[in-house]
Amino acid sequence: MEKMLRSKKAILFFEAPALLLFTLILFVPIINDIWLSFCNYDAINPAVFCGVENFVAIFKDPVFVNAVKNTIFFMLFSLLTQQICGLLLAAILHNFKWGKNVYKNIIYLPNVLSSAALALLFCFLLKPKMGLNALLAMVGIKGPNWLMSVKGYLPLTLWVIGIVSLWIYVGSTMMLYMAGIAGIDQSLFEAAYIDGASRKQTFFRITLPLLKPMTKTTVSLTCIGSLKFFDLVYNMTQSGPNNKTQTIATWLYKQGFQFFKYGYASAMSVVLLILCLVTTLIVNVSINTKEFEG
Amino acid sequence: MKKNRRPIRPGEVVKYILFTLLALIYILPLVWVLNVSVKTNAQLFSDPFGLSAAPQWVNYYVAFFTAGLGVALKNSFIVCTVTLVVSMIVGAMAAFGIARLHWKASGPCLLYYMTGMMVPVHCVLIPLFVTFSKIGLVNNLFGLTLPYITFSLPITIFILNGFFQSMPHELLEAACIDGANIYDCFFRIALPLAKSGLFVTGLMTFIGNWNELLVAMVFISDPIKKTLPVSLTSFASPYATNYTQMFAAIVISVLPTIIVYCIFSDKIVSGLTAGAVKG
Repeated sequence: MEKMLRSKKAILFFEAPALLLFTLILFVPIINDIWLSFCNYDAINPAVFCGVENFVAIFKDPVFVNAVKNTIFFMLFSLLTQQICGLLLAAILHNFKWGKNVYKNIIYLPNVLSSAALALLFCFLLKPKMGLNALLAMVGIKGPNWLMSVKGYLPLTLWVIGIVSLWIYVGSTMMLYMAGIAGIDQSLFEAAYIDGASRKQTFFRITLPLLKPMTKTTVSLTCIGSLKFFDLVYNMTQSGPNNKTQTIATWLYKQGFQFFKYGYASAMSVVLLILCLVTTLIVNVSINTKEFEG
Repeated sequence: MKKNRRPIRPGEVVKYILFTLLALIYILPLVWVLNVSVKTNAQLFSDPFGLSAAPQWVNYYVAFFTAGLGVALKNSFIVCTVTLVVSMIVGAMAAFGIARLHWKASGPCLLYYMTGMMVPVHCVLIPLFVTFSKIGLVNNLFGLTLPYITFSLPITIFILNGFFQSMPHELLEAACIDGANIYDCFFRIALPLAKSGLFVTGLMTFIGNWNELLVAMVFISDPIKKTLPVSLTSFASPYATNYTQMFAAIVISVLPTIIVYCIFSDKIVSGLTAGAVKG
């Protein structure tokens, strides 16, 4: 038995396909990508090392700087709204006597639908004279031009996209928190009830602290997810008006695959990679779940 | 402790009303899409919220055949199925090797797989695109499955690793005494026992790739090889005017996942939480 489980041949058989795929499709391309970000490289010219030229260029590019700002805005907005709404919905829904699963499944539904399709739908609903504005007009309110606003440091359009993404993704945060709450030992609540704790106290003193590992999971899922934001922006506003809603992912796609500036786009992807790693690190350090392990 | 039966409090009624309103915010847009997808463009503008008097099924016909949604549906199905099958087999093998076989590098190897969850796919797009276009894997459905499989593997391995680890040791031992080799142990004992785990991860893989846009857009530009989300983006232009067909196309692309979700919602939920709770 032990000999069988140590057989080199078996290990190779089981791990080789996955190792091969991970190395060829993931590891080698990433190293290659980092190398390309230091190269002058496009569809016509071969890759030539040029130092940090690309990184200097992207940070001089006002659209890219704006895209970084937008990406971080989406991350913080999603983080804040999804944490609050998701936790609130989960806490309320957990106590429902009937219909719990129906509500839960309905709110989670957009998560399994194509965000490209949902973006098209909202793009139409938020057009100047249709959908939402037609409804508002019925009660005599003249709605703003939701997706064409360029005013201010954070134009209205960004907030609208943020709210649509909340509509889509809050279900998954809620779902995870519900699983977390269901996993808490029921006797703790009973003990608190006997000791005369109010509902508010129970929530803040028992539920919330015990949900810490789940908070860590949902925070990192939301952050990494919104850093990669692509489908919604691409289909709702085509990054317009005037590149105002460009994110790192959409700008990278445009530069890399419509203008074929490979080196330039690689530099952007390296910035995105660093953002993802730094975010993961911050989340792991700031939410300490040591006491829950083991 | 038995819960006391108490009269329904007004607070609870308010909660139910609020959640029903919220549920309507989720359902009404989808119902609305279904309704306008059978209108004419003129009806859509004159009366966007009324019911369609004479359903224009021709919108679906045009979207399916002229706008290429039918071909896209087939392509999406091929790509997602191949990805599903391959990532299940490769993922299950890798997870079994890590959970059950004894070797020193199994820990670091798992870590290596798990980095795939942190790395955004954007970072491999450019090198992969350049390499794939040299060896003819661009505009090729098989080429598209390779990144899909690789990026589906981390979560598959992660969930199945948990499954194989919780499997009782005696099972494999008994099989071994009966003369089974390690491959029998895997294919005849471990794999069938992990069926529910395979099903859950398979569903998640399928739905995730069904909706994937960015990678498909980079690797596929040939109209007859486009997948569903890519076909949909052709409607996303400020000057596109054929709205009712667009809505028919939206229905065609979301309907399969809605059906799958209605049947398997509990499995999907358990998959989501299995992936998160252990992490």
